[in-house]
Amino acid sequence: MKRTSIYGMMAEFDTPGDLVSAARRTYEAGYKKIDAYTPFPIEELSEAIGFHRNSVPLVVLIGGILGGCSGFGLQYWIHVINYPINVGGRPLNSWPAFIVVTFEMTILFAGIFAVLGMLALNGLPMPYHPVFNVPRFAFASKDRFFLIIFSSDPKYDAASTRRFLESLAPRSIAEVPS
Amino acid sequence: MSAARVNNLDLMAPPVVKVIQRRMVILGGVASVIVIVGAFIQPAVFFRAYLINFMDWLGICLGSMAILMLRHLTKGGWGMIIRRILGAAMRTLPLLALLFIPILFALPRLYPWARPLESIADNHLQEHLRDITRSYLSLHGFILRAVLYFAVWGALVFLLTKWSYEQDRPPLRDNSSRFKVLSGPGIILYAFTISFAAIDWTMSLDPSWISTIYPLIILIGELLSALCFAVLVERILADYKPMSELLKPEYVHDHGKFMLTFIMVWAYFSFSQWLIIWAGNLPEEITWYMKRLNGGWGFVGLALVLFHFTVPFVLLLSRPFKRDVTRLVWLAVWLLIMHYVDLFWIVEPNFSANFTVTWADVSVPLAMGGLWLAYFCRNLSSIPLVPAYDVFATEVLEPVHE
Amino acid sequence: MDEPTTPAPVIEPGYTFGTVTDKISSIVLTRPTSNGWLLGFGVAFLVSMGLLYAVGYLFLRGVGIWGVNIPVGWGFAIVNFVWWIGIGHAGTLISAILLLLRQSWRNSINRFAEAMTLFAVACAGMFPILHLGRPWLAYWLFPYPNTMRVWPQFRSPLVWDVFAVSTYGTISLLFWYVGLIPDLATLRDRSENRGAQIIYGMLAMGWRGSARHWARYETAYLLLAGLATPLVLSVHTVVSFDFAISILPGWHTTIFPPYFVAGAIYSGFAMVLMLAIPIRKFYGLEDFITDRHLNNSAKVMLATGLIVAYGYGMEAFMGWYSGNRYDSFLLWNRLHGPYAFFYYLLLISNLAIPQVLWIRKLRTSPFWLFLISGVILVGMWLERFIIVVVSLHRDFLTSSWGMYYPTRWDWMTYVGTIGFFLACMFLFLRLLPMISIFEMRTLLPEAEVKAE
Repeated sequence: MKRTSIYGMMAEFDTPGDLVSAARRTYEAGYKKIDAYTPFPIEELSEAIGFHRNSVPLVVLIGGILGGCSGFGLQYWIHVINYPINVGGRPLNSWPAFIVVTFEMTILFAGIFAVLGMLALNGLPMPYHPVFNVPRFAFASKDRFFLIIFSSDPKYDAASTRRFLESLAPRSIAEVPS
Repeated sequence: MSAARVNNLDLMAPPVVKVIQRRMVILGGVASVIVIVGAFIQPAVFFRAYLINFMDWLGICLGSMAILMLRHLTKGGWGMIIRRILGAAMRTLPLLALLFIPILFALPRLYPWARPLESIADNHLQEHLRDITRSYLSLHGFILRAVLYFAVWGALVFLLTKWSYEQDRPPLRDNSSRFKVLSGPGIILYAFTISFAAIDWTMSLDPSWISTIYPLIILIGELLSALCFAVLVERILADYKPMSELLKPEYVHDHGKFMLTFIMVWAYFSFSQWLIIWAGNLPEEITWYMKRLNGGWGFVGLALVLFHFTVPFVLLLSRPFKRDVTRLVWLAVWLLIMHYVDLFWIVEPNFSANFTVTWADVSVPLAMGGLWLAYFCRNLSSIPLVPAYDVFATEVLEPVHE
Repeated sequence: MDEPTTPAPVIEPGYTFGTVTDKISSIVLTRPTSNGWLLGFGVAFLVSMGLLYAVGYLFLRGVGIWGVNIPVGWGFAIVNFVWWIGIGHAGTLISAILLLLRQSWRNSINRFAEAMTLFAVACAGMFPILHLGRPWLAYWLFPYPNTMRVWPQFRSPLVWDVFAVSTYGTISLLFWYVGLIPDLATLRDRSENRGAQIIYGMLAMGWRGSARHWARYETAYLLLAGLATPLVLSVHTVVSFDFAISILPGWHTTIFPPYFVAGAIYSGFAMVLMLAIPIRKFYGLEDFITDRHLNNSAKVMLATGLIVAYGYGMEAFMGWYSGNRYDSFLLWNRLHGPYAFFYYLLLISNLAIPQVLWIRKLRTSPFWLFLISGVILVGMWLERFIIVVVSLHRDFLTSSWGMYYPTRWDWMTYVGTIGFFLACMFLFLRLLPMISIFEMRTLLPEAEVKAE
């Protein structure tokens, strides 16, 4: 409980390659609660910080199935159950004609689930976050690459973690107040 | 053939191709004897199956040519690795031209427009045929156009093959701009010729029915079956050198993606045609579907929806599935069969109101397929599997294990 | 036709993460509002006021002020609807399909192409609603529980249209916004102005570029692309169903779906080029939007134009082959009827002139491409005019034939939407990064992580 005022320790790197190898070494050194911040997606990075379970596809699949079923169900319910009416001699359950809206609803739901699911899993929107307290962090959206070890990591210790990060030859190191 | 060795790798097709070739010759020969005997006993049954099979194998041949031209326009390792497989399939064109000739002797059996007008019972159809047989669907027109189609395809195959051969021998050369100049217009020529061939050879089986998207359904079926065939051959070769050294999962992944695209496009075209005709419900159009949805044919149609689209679609969504040639090949074989069923469903209901499978539907595929495959194997083993002296081949020629 | 073996670069050499970021974000953040921008926006804004005027008068007097009447009940409104929505399709194609095909050259044009899609869809969506007669009751098109106890008729392609276009608008907006989030964060961090910091900050939703976030973001973005690809095809397919589901000669033909989709991409790329060529000149972005982009876009136009040509050919042939007298008459009426002039103009501008794109020199010449793109846009507008008007004005019954003449209100509404579209584009250029900054960073050689 004594370290509540510190969120973690952050190191800054110049290139994506440096960051990825630093992240790998940090993970191998036993730090598990780490994260990295980059100005663009780096494929190798998520695996380097030990992030494997990505549930976005599952959310999208659920959205798609939900949309498709509700799309067809809506049309079936309207035209067969709630208000059956003969239009041009077509059967009440005109499934060939219903496919189009079913398809559109599948895409609509899956797309909305993809975006909202991604945001929710990422915990966004989040107006305040401790990492923004580091002044140089503004460059994380431009051309610098950051690695953080959270203070909640069992191995975290202000002095030894700083020494470890220094061994990775970063450009700068900063303690992140929470 | 020392030129075919690169990086200590013999690029010639493995001996297994020769083995397959011999077996196919035997299979095709024996089946042909049976088929020829059957053809004299039941010519009507024989020629329907013959037409379906001709369209099927022609589809693999021409589809291969089209994918090859597509490759020349877009480049990429996925195409280099199957380039010679497609090329060998494409060079079966002479056999198919030969196989086309028997159809000419059976025109009245197959096509209502080739029969004497007086024999047409339906007044409406008779009136329609009176005009169209005079101007377009005449014997001379039919033959003349067929000669034209084969001439165009022959010219394309000839040039594509000739320039490809040059790349088996030093010096290292870049034929890509030549190929590009040919392939752009070549694809257009292919699209138009196969469209009119599809109208002549299968759509005119029901001369009063028209659908403007129909030629495209035939076209995409050809691309699909050609790709599936290439994956099948690629799988067989993958057990032997040199393909075992060269085939990377990324290429297979691309082939899987193409397969997915083609079945989606096939479903899109087929569904569009169905929905538009279903909604319009005009007597001259909807009868085509009436024939194909009644008398047991409806189950074939349903099977096409499920097994030509739905199940393959779901399977192909999986990334590991697309990258593993040993699994993808089963789907490829399956789709080759479904493509045949698709053609069967398009052609056969013109002749029989009820779903039937005859002796010819089993033996003609074996006969024609056996001969075609034997010819294909001969083509495949005659030149290296990769054109070693194409500047773009280096990407593919780096062995996987390095 | 001689192509060099190594294609022109997507981004000129010499840039770093920092300079790319600065160059694109400075257009929004530090560059003073130029007189050219003010003039362009002013003119576009004035023209869109014309739209407001025309629409206001329409609300007052009804659709009688337009030239539509029986037999031609679908006039400019539907022509413009199809034209605009077709233009929108190129944006989705560039952002989604080219992403799936790993065509990284798209990275420098996808952002403004997507913006173009949104504004084009907004213009398109206006027309069917204005055409309703009682536009204020447009919400009746949606299935909602109501005291009248009636529902939309789901066998009608016009209801499919409602679902297709509103889904398309929604997904395009989401796709565009998701793509913007990391760049909004960049603007938030780069901005010196407190107000801008707050606005961009709120829009960025606290994006901080965490590796976990990027992983989910990339997955979601790819999946959205995978969803948008069949969606964009379905939208123009549904538009084609508006025509093809009927039994009118010239409308009821099965090739319409792919032929409409190809036409949409054709006109859409023409619009992309008409926007990209001046933008890259005025903002000095030749390093990011290179000759390669022009060349590739021209190739796409050439290919889709040929598919459209195939459609024309097949339709004409089948009209003749069918022996159907109404189909044959339609063909005759197109070639010799009162609107024949426009049909020939269409053939010239859509089929003949674009064939010069076979010449590589023209494909990389901004001047000629701009001109050809304009011709194609006119041609594709004429194509929809021919489909809508020529098919309707002389159908089965000779006694009910008629002519269609657009009124000045038709023209004013049409030109007004062009003004509205351009005004939106001008605002977009000024307020948001027109090129995706984070995707441009991934194109730089220094973005590669070398294997250890």
